[in-house]
Amino acid sequence: MPAEIIDGRKIADDIRGELKQRVEKLKGKGVTPKLVAILVGEDPAALSYLRGIAKGCEAVGILTDTVKLPANAPQEELERTIGELNKDPKCHGIILQLPLPKHLNTLRAESAISPDKDVDGTNPVNAGKLLLGEETFFPSTPYGVQELLVRSGHSPEGKHVVICGRSNIVGKPLMGILVQKQKGANATVTVCHTGTKDLASIARQADILVAAMGKAKAITADMVKMGAIVVDVGVNQIEDPANPGKFRLAGDVDFEAVKEKAGAITPVPGGTGPVTSALLVANTVKAAEKMSGP
Amino acid sequence: MPGTILDGKKLSAEIREELKGRVAKLKEKGITPGIAGILVGEDPGSASYIGLKEKASEELGISSRMVRLPQNTKQEDLLKEIEHLNEDPMIHGIFIQLPLPGHLDENKALNAVLPEKDVDGFHPVNVGKAWMGQESFLPATPTGIWEMLVRYRYSDLKDKEVVIVNVDSLVGKPLASILAQEKVGANVTLCQPSTPNLSSYTRRADVVVVSVNKPKFLIADMVKQGVIAIDFGSNWIDDPASKTGKRTVGDIDFEPVKEKAEAITPVPGGLGPMTVTMLLVNTVVAAERRAERMRK
Repeated sequence: MPAEIIDGRKIADDIRGELKQRVEKLKGKGVTPKLVAILVGEDPAALSYLRGIAKGCEAVGILTDTVKLPANAPQEELERTIGELNKDPKCHGIILQLPLPKHLNTLRAESAISPDKDVDGTNPVNAGKLLLGEETFFPSTPYGVQELLVRSGHSPEGKHVVICGRSNIVGKPLMGILVQKQKGANATVTVCHTGTKDLASIARQADILVAAMGKAKAITADMVKMGAIVVDVGVNQIEDPANPGKFRLAGDVDFEAVKEKAGAITPVPGGTGPVTSALLVANTVKAAEKMSGP
Repeated sequence: MPGTILDGKKLSAEIREELKGRVAKLKEKGITPGIAGILVGEDPGSASYIGLKEKASEELGISSRMVRLPQNTKQEDLLKEIEHLNEDPMIHGIFIQLPLPGHLDENKALNAVLPEKDVDGFHPVNVGKAWMGQESFLPATPTGIWEMLVRYRYSDLKDKEVVIVNVDSLVGKPLASILAQEKVGANVTLCQPSTPNLSSYTRRADVVVVSVNKPKFLIADMVKQGVIAIDFGSNWIDDPASKTGKRTVGDIDFEPVKEKAEAITPVPGGLGPMTVTMLLVNTVVAAERRAERMRK
């Protein structure tokens, strides 16, 4: 029997529906949440990503802005920009579009973002609080994986979650989120490095398998236990066999084959991506709520 | 053949000898490493532990200043004390002896310690940086385990499976922080003590780490032949043969597991002696980093 397809767009719509009410409440107090992105250079893929974020913000009635710095902007200018946004009472969330040009120090820039406005959870203070189980902002991608699981009725509690890939933006924070002794977490979590020799044998242990490797079709059907829940975080551009010379989006999972074995699976596109975007907005609303007081 | 005993006492003595050399080098540059500890109240266990840290520091030539505050100390006065130590250039490492009395906010106190002096590795900035693979400080238990694996030449963990039964912020999570980094290359599983069917995880493990404080929690049937077994449990059990009628054991059923293991830590004499030593290592590292910053 083919798997249940988890509809990330529907979950994202639900999240935005809930957010609209919170935004209305804030507006009643004279506060309109605002998310500001900082983009260094003119990467077209980044611009298109940020347009998507802006659309998600507009859908719930919050403001967005993008501060563009030239590709050769020095570190001081970047940090000055961050410092101004930290002080701006009208800005509630700041995201720094990565990767930065090579001459810039990413860790220093991320550390400069006020923890109270760090809605992507990249400041080491917030990464630490996440791991310690303290109140903070979760990075939106791992947060999206958790929300998607819980909202689709596949809570990770008591389950074995295997995460393939251990980047600082997905794999590691996801492990940190899911091992907490909290609702929607409390899982047994394995984090693997993608190049490990016997990835298949570890992946097959998973009740919930998370693919975050950045490689198309890296997860094949033989790596999946019958009935497992498969969450695909990958976003890869691959050549479209139906349209030679054209590209399309694909995840890290060999979707057609795995869906015959899995209990439930997220598609790409339309899986974790939309949930992630909605949660970045949710974090911004949360930041505005905290700043505006009870 | 029974497994190698991972002798924490011997290693700890070895590391302390090396530290003496590093301290002497710093002194040549005019820097005497300094450690400060804060104890609030009179819990006898905490008082004796802070005494151990004081004595060990002095033996290595590290200057130590232990601040003992009364049980009813106010939060603001504790924070003020931390602030003094943060500003004191003679102090390179600061630790707060936990637990604090119930009326004090532990997180607030730990977060007030300057991250570059946070030799316990409890400040969120240090926790976050370690998790991201950046230079920081990590707590003594996980660094003690790692040091032990390195010095007994079991630290080549690429493609190996490490299973940690403990998810707390002092042991499980920071140990995962070390072992899940790219340069180590292990596949790391964090198990809750409540994980269903726990032995299905521990039996796959090349390295198993247990810290649940239950005697004979990990029995021979739960490990594979050739495992490296690390025990950070501490339990007082009845022992009619001993003078006090009690003795300390770990979480591992030692004798039978030893027969199957490639290497195993005893309790006592395994990780226990390493923890104070690793705090001192962090303090010397803090002083060395400070010397490096002054040079630049």
